[in-house]
This record gives sequence, C-alpha cells and structure tokens, in this order.
Amino acid sequence: MPNFTDYALRETASNLWRNRLMTIAAILTVTISLTLVGAALVLKQGAANAEQIWQRDTQVSVWMSPTASPSEITAVASQLHQLPYVRSCTFRDQAYDYEEARKLLTPAEFSVLRASDMPTSFRCTPVQSQDAQIVVDRFMNQPGVQNVRAPLQQIHAMQQTITVLQWVFLAVAVVLLLSAAVLIINTIRLAIFARRREISVMKLVGATNWFIRVPFMAEGLTQGILGSGFAALLVYGLHLWLDTLGNPSNPNALLTQISLNGWQIFWTDAVLVGVGALIGGVGSSLAIRRFLDV
Amino acid sequence: MLPHSFTMITFENVSKIYKSETPALNDVSVEIDKGEFVFLVGSSGSGKTTFLRLLLREEAPTKGTIIEAGRDLGSLPKWRVPFLRRNIGCVFQDFRLLPNKTVFENVAFALEVIGRPKSVVKSQVPQVLELVGLGQKMERLPSELSGGEQQRVAVARAFVNRPLILLADEPTGNLDPTTSEGIMTLLDRINRTGTTVVMATHDKQMVDRMRRRVLELDHGVLVRDQSRGVYGIDDSAGGQM
Repeated sequence: MPNFTDYALRETASNLWRNRLMTIAAILTVTISLTLVGAALVLKQGAANAEQIWQRDTQVSVWMSPTASPSEITAVASQLHQLPYVRSCTFRDQAYDYEEARKLLTPAEFSVLRASDMPTSFRCTPVQSQDAQIVVDRFMNQPGVQNVRAPLQQIHAMQQTITVLQWVFLAVAVVLLLSAAVLIINTIRLAIFARRREISVMKLVGATNWFIRVPFMAEGLTQGILGSGFAALLVYGLHLWLDTLGNPSNPNALLTQISLNGWQIFWTDAVLVGVGALIGGVGSSLAIRRFLDV
Repeated sequence: MLPHSFTMITFENVSKIYKSETPALNDVSVEIDKGEFVFLVGSSGSGKTTFLRLLLREEAPTKGTIIEAGRDLGSLPKWRVPFLRRNIGCVFQDFRLLPNKTVFENVAFALEVIGRPKSVVKSQVPQVLELVGLGQKMERLPSELSGGEQQRVAVARAFVNRPLILLADEPTGNLDPTTSEGIMTLLDRINRTGTTVVMATHDKQMVDRMRRRVLELDHGVLVRDQSRGVYGIDDSAGGQM
C-alpha cells in the first residue's frame, strides 16, 4: 500500500514537528538514560576484560630476607616448583634487584644502597589469580622468608569500585528510562489530542484502527530510535576516548585495560538501539491504548 | 412474504439503557427499505441521536437485534466496524470539517484514509463537489465559506464514497430556513440516487413540506411510524398545507 506508507510518513513527520519541544525533551531523555545504560555496559564488559588482563599478570612476590641461608632459599624454590597451582617462578638475585632499584630510586637514595642489602625474591605466576592468596598464606611464615606480596587488594578495590559505579549508573538509568517512557507517552497523548478532529472524522468514514494508530506508533518509535541512536554515538565516543588513553605516557593508561573490542562495542550499541526502540514502541502503545479509543 | 424491496435497516425490539437511567431507546422495532427517505423526529432527549449512534455502531444495543445492509451488528466483530462505516455516510449539525484543510482536501481525506488510490480521489472529489454546487470553491478553507456551504462540503464528504445509507443528525440545525432548504434539496437528490437517508430533525416546516416517512420517538419509545407524514400529529389533523 504505497498510499498508506506515504500517508503514515507524512502524518508522523508532521506530528513530530508539531510537538517539537516535547519531542526534543523525549529524545534527550532517552539519549541521556541510554548513554548511562551504555556506560554501565561498557564498564561491566570492560571490567571483565581488565580482570582477564590482571589475572594473567597477577604475580606473587616471595621476598627472602637478606639474611636467608642458601638452604632456606633452595627449600622455598623446590616447594614453589612442586606446587600445582603455580605456573612458573623466576628467581631474582641481589644483582637484579640492585639494578631494579637503580631505575626506581633517585640517585641520592640509590647511592646509600649496596647490592648486599638487597633482598632476593621469587616472582611467581599462579595458574589462577585466586591461587595467589594460597601462595601468600603458605610462605608467609616459612623460615628465611621476609614477606609475601600479591596485588590482590588493589584488584579487589578496583573491582568493587567498578561494581558500585555500574549499579549507580544502572539505577539512574532505570529512573531516567522510566521518565523517558512517560515523556513519550505524553508526546503521543498531545499528538492524539491535537489530531482529535481528524481522528473522529477518520473513524466516521471507516478508516481502520491500524490506519489511525500507525502514525502515532511510528512517532513514538522514531523518538526512541533517535534518542538511542545519539546514545549509541556517545557510547562509541566513550569507547574511542578510552582507546586514546592507550598511550603509556598518559597517567590514566590503566583505564585502557577496560576498553572494549569492536564487537563488544557494536553489540552494546545494538542493545541500546533495541532498548530505545522498545521504550518508544511500548510508550506509544500505552498512550494509544489509553487515549486513542478506536 | 411479498418480494418487496430490499430491507436496508431492521431494528428488532431494540433497547438501549445508559447506566441505570431510563432507557434511551425502549423496545424499538422498525424496518427501513433500501432507497427510503426517513425523518426521525421527537423532542430533545427522545432518543434520536441514540438511534443514529446505534446505526453507526458507536454504541451496541442493550437488548435486541439490529440488521444493517444485510449485516447483523450484534455478531459483527469490532475490527469489521470500520468496513461497516464505509457503507454509511454521516452529516452532523456542526459540520465537523477539518479547519486546516481546503474543501477539496476535506472531501479527499475521506477517501484517502480508507486507502483509495490517488486516481480515484482526483476523479471523484471534483465530481461530488460539483454535485453539491461547490465546484468553484474547491481551494477555499472552511472558514471562508458560509454555514450552508460548509454543510454542503460535509454532505459531499459523506457521499463521496457512494454509501448505501446516509445518516444526518439535524443537518439544518444551525442554518437559516432558505439555506436549510438547499441542504434538504441536496439530501433529496442523493436519496434519488438510491441512497437510503435517515435524517433526525427538529425542522417542522421541512418535514411537513417533504411529506416523507416519519418516525417519532418519545422518551425512547417509537410512538409513530407514518408514511408521507408531518412533524406533529396534531398539525396533521389541523390540515395545514
């Protein structure tokens, strides 16, 4: 029915234009709320990505005391090699750590150090990052061991922060999505009110219900899809921004670890547009049900 | 039964009761044949408008059966109602034109929204506007027309789809007598094309002059069904005209 398509497009466009202020408000609300949803999704997936990296890189450092006897060191080394949940271990002698210290300390600080002051250490990669804690517990009180360290607390704190942020974003987004739906319902209601004469004539001359409804449905859908389209662009912008942090000189370089790959960002945007269309569709259906008695 | 002409509208013991009040229509039974012209008279609140609303299927009767154009409205599913209405033209006291559309567009709208192709719109609309005498004013807006002319546009819109039935709810209620006469002539001409016309009216002079079938309602009860009738029975006894 080319006539009908033509008619529906014309009516939809003119409804949107007539109610342009309300339309803009509805689109903006959809955009903002879906951008937050998108940011929450990006954080969630990014956190998962980052966790993989962190898990791969989690190292347990077993620091031997400088006074440890060679037999104590050999005992620790052989035990570490026997443990099934330790993937690999390297031993760092005093000379290596002395070189490390040279890089990390200022010349003044470094000048007072001697190689013999340096502790030796084992740097171990556990099979799974959770196993790091077992290594820590096991060697903490071993003779000759000064200290055992794993960056578990930092990872934990990071994960917690991301989880909290994610829930805050989602909670705000849900509230905003609800208000977006209400705004869409209201714009459709206004459009129906503005067209009540036309609608009554249409009913009178025998226009079918769908013929009358479709332009209003299309109006709500357009608002939802436009709003979510903008949100998708903003989320893509966020993705690009996270990527630019990849430069190691950037102090926020750590954030690049939560950046997404192309497919992830594509699906995130697809979900956003889907949700936008859903909100527009459901909002306009509700408005039609409530205010358009055909 | 005699093979008399096809019955267009049948009311069988129809009652309509709105929310526990006295019935708007009370056990009305009547048959209207194809091509008839019927006046529906009675004081305000006598049930004339309810009668028309039932025919438009804007309301369903509380009791009884209505058969219209061969269809039993009681068993007509809701989604078929628009298709029923395509067989019924409607004219109202307040014209109900769209103020931001021209005369042509107002009439064309009735064809467009039921999905008629543009070619049909282009040929039918000027033809029907010619019929109602507005061939020269197709590009005017309703606000630029007199009341009588606006009602002519409404009649054109009701008739452009060649309905089987034309319902008119006090079409001359807002018009002066001379203009009313013009509208009446127009409805009469439409009736002569075979369209069944049911017209609710308060216009005594017109009913008396036309001498068509008269149905009189009083508090929802059909109190008179008279062919070649007049507005009030007493006047008829008085032998006017």
